[in-house]
Amino acid sequence: MASIDQPPVSSENQKAWNEAYERLVHFLDAFALGDHVQVSRLALHLLDQAQQLHRKDSSLNPTTLTMEQAQKLVSNWLATNLVEADRSSSEILARGYIALLLSRMFLTSPTSFLASPLPEDLRQSLRQTLLVTGPDLNISSMTSRHFDYGPMLGLARQTWHRFDLKSALLAILFWAGVYGVLYACLSNFL
Amino acid sequence: MSAPPYFESVALARRTVFAGASIFLTVSGFALMVNSYSGQKMSGWDYLVLVLFPLLFSQIAIGFVLALFGFIDWLRGGDPFHVMRRPWRNREASIPLAATAIVIPVFNEEVARVSQAIANMWRSLEKTGQIEHFDFYVCSDSNDADHWIEEECAWMFLCQKLNAFGKIFYRKRRHPLNGKSGNVADFCRRWGKRYRYMIVLDADSIMIGPTLVRLVRAMEANPEVGILQTQPHMVLGRSLFRRVLQFSSHVYGGLFSRGCSMAQMSSGSYWGHNAIIRVAPFIEHCDLPFLPVPNPGKRHVLSHDTVEAALMRRAGYEVWIAYDEPGSFEEGPPNLSDMLKRDRRWCAGNLQHFWFLFGRHIEMGNRLQIWIGLMAYLCSPLWLAFLVAGSIGAYDRLRFLTLSADPEDLGAATVSHAMTLFVSTLVLLFTPRILGFLTVLPRARQYGGFFRLLLSTVLENVLSILLAPVLMIFHTLFVLMTLLGLQIKWTTQNRTDTGLTLSHCLTLYGWLSGLGLFAQWLTFFYLGSECLWLMPIFIGWILAPLLAWVTSWSHFGMTLKSWGLFVSPEESKLPPELKDLEETESSSPPSSPLWIQALLCPYVQAVHLSMVRQRSSSNDDMPSPSFTKLRERLLRGGPQALNPKEKLRLLWDAETVFWLHQELWARPARELHPSWLQGQAESGKNRLLFDYLIPQ
Repeated sequence: MASIDQPPVSSENQKAWNEAYERLVHFLDAFALGDHVQVSRLALHLLDQAQQLHRKDSSLNPTTLTMEQAQKLVSNWLATNLVEADRSSSEILARGYIALLLSRMFLTSPTSFLASPLPEDLRQSLRQTLLVTGPDLNISSMTSRHFDYGPMLGLARQTWHRFDLKSALLAILFWAGVYGVLYACLSNFL
Repeated sequence: MSAPPYFESVALARRTVFAGASIFLTVSGFALMVNSYSGQKMSGWDYLVLVLFPLLFSQIAIGFVLALFGFIDWLRGGDPFHVMRRPWRNREASIPLAATAIVIPVFNEEVARVSQAIANMWRSLEKTGQIEHFDFYVCSDSNDADHWIEEECAWMFLCQKLNAFGKIFYRKRRHPLNGKSGNVADFCRRWGKRYRYMIVLDADSIMIGPTLVRLVRAMEANPEVGILQTQPHMVLGRSLFRRVLQFSSHVYGGLFSRGCSMAQMSSGSYWGHNAIIRVAPFIEHCDLPFLPVPNPGKRHVLSHDTVEAALMRRAGYEVWIAYDEPGSFEEGPPNLSDMLKRDRRWCAGNLQHFWFLFGRHIEMGNRLQIWIGLMAYLCSPLWLAFLVAGSIGAYDRLRFLTLSADPEDLGAATVSHAMTLFVSTLVLLFTPRILGFLTVLPRARQYGGFFRLLLSTVLENVLSILLAPVLMIFHTLFVLMTLLGLQIKWTTQNRTDTGLTLSHCLTLYGWLSGLGLFAQWLTFFYLGSECLWLMPIFIGWILAPLLAWVTSWSHFGMTLKSWGLFVSPEESKLPPELKDLEETESSSPPSSPLWIQALLCPYVQAVHLSMVRQRSSSNDDMPSPSFTKLRERLLRGGPQALNPKEKLRLLWDAETVFWLHQELWARPARELHPSWLQGQAESGKNRLLFDYLIPQ
């Protein structure tokens, strides 16, 4: 646990650590623990760890350092309790979060979150969760059958498929001219 | 089980009577029309009127005959040849059920409403004791990241709440090809073999457990049936517009469905939802053919249901409308704009059906359905042309009479023919409405009592008369745009009963008021008092913005409901399956994007990853340069830096989602867009968490 007696820090450093603290609390809040004391306890513990590491290498950013510690802790805790060593860390986390969600441990026993060792009954409840996302595929071939569109198809092929806008416009212009001439002639005669 | 004896003879007789009556009425009307011109000099406009008249009048005649068929069917208490009235009903309870999938295609729908409907149907099925035969599939084509992530969380919520893991499934298509029909076909290809039947629902559909069970039993008892379509009743309307539609669907909808069923019998219609389908023949015969048009992008059949019914029938399976099965519901469009938006889609789809009208091996009943669907929209431009040609023709005659020194006598016979035709048209138009009223009269109490039912019917007719010219203009535009291959831009996305704004109504319908005033002045100037015949049309146009605005008000609709007007039977005794659905509609939109919680909130992310991981590779390869840029742009520019397609692309990549989760929490504030800090602060109390994943 973090000690109350801490070495003095610069104001710049203090700002950075405050940001790290705020980020960490938001991160832990996202687990919906519902126990603020537990969140504070975990936050102080992780901050303490991060500050120790920071003392060894002050070039590291406090927020990044703290959050990496937090993510590592969560990942290791889930891997240990789910026995999922052969999976990638992203898969462990996804499966672990689902296990947490379905077990409701964060509501029923928030103090057990990230606790090590985890009580056996809680560990079992985490391991027993299984998410069925979809049934196994049972592939069928569904392809359209030939459809005879009848006489319209032939008609369409003779028009639409051979439709040329330029030709159509020329035809319209031609016939407009013919009718124009005819109209003018008839108007003069009648 | 085979069809009853004399089935084919009865079907033939009914179709003969239907076609004969429709043709007789059309020819009679046409004869009256021709006679009304007798003794007059006819212009080209008059000939155009004569060409258009039989097309338009035939539609009125068909509607009248269908309503008459429906009324006869109602009078005798149902069709004894109907599949739902065959002897299997006597042993219904003993018929075992088969595996059935309830398929719900969704596209950016209101997630809370859809999940509540699924929960209600699940509970209703549980009460029947037959839940083990049913699985639910939510098949999503949503292209909005917020909807996608909310749908996944809602799926988790349903599975947890109903203990339905392995019974309710969620599937999101990465490439939503061919719209809803493509979505259903995708389900069939992936999981169709697991089920003998599928019940297809719309996102706003709901069916009660006993009806679902009865449909499966009906299919089991009648292996020759391929599709059994129920008549969904509109429910849960709040706006005046939706309540009026709801009322008319109850009063008249059933009558026309009865009539269609009686005329078409085993060549019935499929409306795309609230229907049970035999999966194997659907897979084998009903994949939609490509249309023979030059543009490859327009070869897909947009409105699939009618074509699927025709294909199923062509394959030798029967298609029936179960018109009087209770417990099948849907919701209508909440306002005029939304209805027009839907009509635009339907118009494009129905016009495509022209290709199938003359297709070989299509049953007559299906051709009739295709024709009715086609003319539902083509009638509008024809009607408009008829009105214009008729008005100009009338002006020509009037001018001739005025200018002629020896005007021709119109003659008493001509006037009487015109009046007979006018009265006949009104009779054909309003008789179906009167018959519909008569069919619900014995249940008047469920509609608020006799006088309220009568007043509601009268008001519904007035509103229909005023809206008809507005629909005529928009349908004409839709037809023209479709034929010209043009897209129509729309200004609203409103899907709830929250009402339209006055500015929206003025923008969209204001020009109609101008058109109405101009047309009125024009016809009055040239036709004088004869323009009074066109007044209902002009009034409809002039009032269009006001009508659209007022009818979209929820509180107006609910006030009229409290007065007992436009009441439907379900409202006097709300089925438990419809409870809690009204409340979900008024949920407020989220303050910040929901999809970012798939990157921030561990639980939301885990649900998302468990869904996309099924097909996403889990290798640790480096991301492509474009992905690297996308990730960085998101971190530095915030959620708003990505367009909708980029958001979807990113969310499909499981490794990117995981990487972003790590980075978003670990990067110092100066390397992140400020909106991420707000997202982090909200991740512990985001809506997805408390509405779906850990509800109180």
